[in-house]
Amino acid sequence: MAEAPTRRDFIGCVAAGLAVSAATVREAEAFFLPGPPPSVASAPSRPVVAIARREGMIDRPAGKLDMRKVQEALGAAVSRAAGEKTAVDAFQKLFTPRDVVGIKVNCLAGRGLSTRPEVAAQIALWLQVAGVPPGQIVIWDRTERELKSAGFSPSQSGPRVIGTDGDYEGRLREWGPGASRFARLLVEDLTAVIDVPLLKDHGLSGVSLGMKNLYGTIHNPNKLHDEGCNPFLPHLSAFPLLREKLRLTVVDGTTGQCHGGPGFSPAWAWEYQGFLASTDIVAVDAAGWRVLEERRKSQGLKSLALEGREPRYIRDAQKLGLGVGDEARVDVRNV
Amino acid sequence: MKSRREFLCSLGGACVAAVAGPGFAQDVAPRGTMVPVEEGGLAPRPAGWYKKLPEEWVQCGLCPRGCRISDAERGTCGVRENRKGNLYTLVHSRPCTVALDPIEKKPFFHVLPGSPVLSLATAGCNFDCKGCQNWEIAQARPEQVRSFTLTPEDAIGVARERGAPLVACTYTEPTVFSEYVLDIARAGRGKGIRTVVVSNGSIQQQPLADLCAELAAYKVDLKGFNETFYRQHTGGELKPVLETLRRLMKLGTWTEIVVLVIPTLNDSMEEIKSLARFVVNDLGPEVPVHFTRFHPAYRLMNLPSTPVSTLERARQTAMEQGLRFVYLGNVPGHPGENTFCPGCGRTLIKRRGMALLENNLKGGSCPDCRRKIPGVWV
Ligand code: SF4
Repeated sequence: MAEAPTRRDFIGCVAAGLAVSAATVREAEAFFLPGPPPSVASAPSRPVVAIARREGMIDRPAGKLDMRKVQEALGAAVSRAAGEKTAVDAFQKLFTPRDVVGIKVNCLAGRGLSTRPEVAAQIALWLQVAGVPPGQIVIWDRTERELKSAGFSPSQSGPRVIGTDGDYEGRLREWGPGASRFARLLVEDLTAVIDVPLLKDHGLSGVSLGMKNLYGTIHNPNKLHDEGCNPFLPHLSAFPLLREKLRLTVVDGTTGQCHGGPGFSPAWAWEYQGFLASTDIVAVDAAGWRVLEERRKSQGLKSLALEGREPRYIRDAQKLGLGVGDEARVDVRNV
Repeated sequence: MKSRREFLCSLGGACVAAVAGPGFAQDVAPRGTMVPVEEGGLAPRPAGWYKKLPEEWVQCGLCPRGCRISDAERGTCGVRENRKGNLYTLVHSRPCTVALDPIEKKPFFHVLPGSPVLSLATAGCNFDCKGCQNWEIAQARPEQVRSFTLTPEDAIGVARERGAPLVACTYTEPTVFSEYVLDIARAGRGKGIRTVVVSNGSIQQQPLADLCAELAAYKVDLKGFNETFYRQHTGGELKPVLETLRRLMKLGTWTEIVVLVIPTLNDSMEEIKSLARFVVNDLGPEVPVHFTRFHPAYRLMNLPSTPVSTLERARQTAMEQGLRFVYLGNVPGHPGENTFCPGCGRTLIKRRGMALLENNLKGGSCPDCRRKIPGVWV
């Protein structure tokens, strides 16, 4: 008789990024994830940004993640963002078993301020429970070097963990103000993308959230940082190749950084211990920006506008019809 | 890692396979062989010409962009990276293209005519010209191209073994790999190998002075003569390029100018006239100017090739402003490829495409009227 996994087993699997049977995970999830209140199951009339924070998510002094709290918060954020009761329902709503799903992480700043491997692995696990085969899930970033520096173990099997490295398609695609070669993985393999950026400051673009993380899908982001990355970020994000594949953005805010980004600057990093999720990349970027501004204020820092690096690209993305950045028109819910 | 011997073998092998056309234009780059280098193809070395800023930021002082770069990020050129508050070049000794060309291909028409030149480039450029012919390497980051390990000493060694008196840093933008350029030029000192660059001229004063102390010649691609064109089509600015040209004159470095004439974008005769006036007045009438023919490339696939008649009018216009050495490029067999004596009109150097057909200069002068012809002749 199969033995039910203990919480310890389950967390071990998640932390190792292993593929486990769907039944096992469903059972585990049902056990560990409290269902959100019934009201959230109704379809949102306007974009929803779900913010879920849990005290004690980072286990001190070791600094490890408390995976139970990660699951609680991540599950609550994702399910609310999709208007579903559970995380698995959310993933089932947003993805089909035929999808090949890329989880685009952000590892530029190395350990300390990169998408946590445990968070990416948890998302991969829920995708599997939702019916996406492990071989159709890819956790990826620009280079293997960066992935390793953030604590990921590159792998070619199960949910793959890979860097684009030099593997960009040969052709150049014009996307309005820019032209790029896109990661071959994105163009040829993936049918869906989950964007998993950080909650962090950026010295040139103001903030680095969902849209900024998409720079990691093209070969020439270094050419696109003038004028606070505007109008490049909105146009790139609106390019059909990305727009049509992007289904969900989950900001990994286990650790945030309100100044000195995009590199890791411990003086300005803080344990936000939460996630922001939405199916609207503009709405989630706007909400993340607000969180960063609040943190800046509490630390005695000037606003980004006063520093001359307000992320105007978020408003311009709304003008482009990519999503809703206007706070009054977004349903921001703490869950 | 590929040894120098292996590198030379592949260079020779590719040479045999790729000889084509007049002269000895040969692509000898051993393409298809990736040399594994630490960190997935990167070879970081401390960069020069930068200053440290608070919070582990740096500001690069190599080109006028003056990129402010945070930890873990790169400058616009994609080849200079901040690591914990120190700037590194990722391309020193890491060319992605190595070829043996005639000097006429650069084009330098007043530098050792008919000489073979070992030409090399690393990935990266500080511009993003919409008509770039080499965008696959110029607009790439170093890890996105196949690169070789070729130290400055080995580059000089290869040049000597191939009978090339010159090394040209070209194809992409040498400014962004200035540390490598400088080391190649120094390595060639005393060995009879001189170094030249083919650049967009967008470089700051100090690195330019440092380079010019070692270089034999500098070719500047003057992409047009109005700021709007520069901003919209190159990603750079005109003013600093003009400043570089003036500085080159003061530094006494042999300089030639190339203008790629692109239909509808920079081909008005008014603009050509202004450009020629600038050269005559600020640089001198003896500076060679090459008007070259555009062919559709990169993001300008929608435009036709430049009509030869446009180039001819440009040459005529420039000469009317007083320029004495005005050439046409990418028009093989056109008389505008030849050098004529401004004193007596004698044909001094006859060329076809990249091939040297005749060189009648005597000690750098016209054999008939003895007029001195400026250039690097010995
Ligand atoms: S050389 Fe590169 S890093 Fe330096 S200022 Fe120019 S574009 Fe920026």
